[in-house]
Amino acid sequence: MTVSVRYWSWFKDLAGADHEVHELAPEACLGDLLEQIRHQHPGFEQVRKSTLVAVGLEYQNADHRLKNGDEVSLFPPVQGG
Amino acid sequence: MRRDLQVVREPLDEDVLRRGRSASAGAGAVLHFLGIVRGTEGSDAIRALDYEAFEPMAVHQFGKLFDALEQRWPRVESVRLVHRVGIVPVGEASLWVEIVSPHRGEAFESCQWLIDEMKRVVPIWKKAVPGGSG
Repeated sequence: MTVSVRYWSWFKDLAGADHEVHELAPEACLGDLLEQIRHQHPGFEQVRKSTLVAVGLEYQNADHRLKNGDEVSLFPPVQGG
Repeated sequence: MRRDLQVVREPLDEDVLRRGRSASAGAGAVLHFLGIVRGTEGSDAIRALDYEAFEPMAVHQFGKLFDALEQRWPRVESVRLVHRVGIVPVGEASLWVEIVSPHRGEAFESCQWLIDEMKRVVPIWKKAVPGGSG
């Protein structure tokens, strides 16, 4: 299946892009995608604990099951105000 | 509970926002909070902060916070919040919040809670724009 990944704030610098498309095995979960991203962009290993992840408009954990066409967002801790 | 959320790119006009207030005969407290951009980031002087928002998710998460605020402080009758994004120069407002409630206690508590939660879950980030005079 295919999912789109969008990076926000300084995570765009870590990825070298603001948007990517990732191919995953059927039944893959968010954790599988994150491992693929860390393999492709090793800088994300350093921010493993502080990385926030959303699917669509909701925060999700690594065991969240992905669907074809999902839009995943990765970003650092938020700083509004 | 009345709720109003705006994510804007232009400067906040406090007078216009205040004129939009509605308060019932039972209201006894109107609390306004204004967050403005400090001239320093750590020990460095800055000229502005550049705010970026994942806007659809920010709107969604603010909506969930308003739902939770209404559950927790059911007597709060109005919450309005405006967050500016893009480049906000030092001294200008990035955040305006208004809470209307029967008594000051729930207004102060709910406003503090809302801003704390915003800083935890609403996807907005800021980047310092260097070059200030300190």
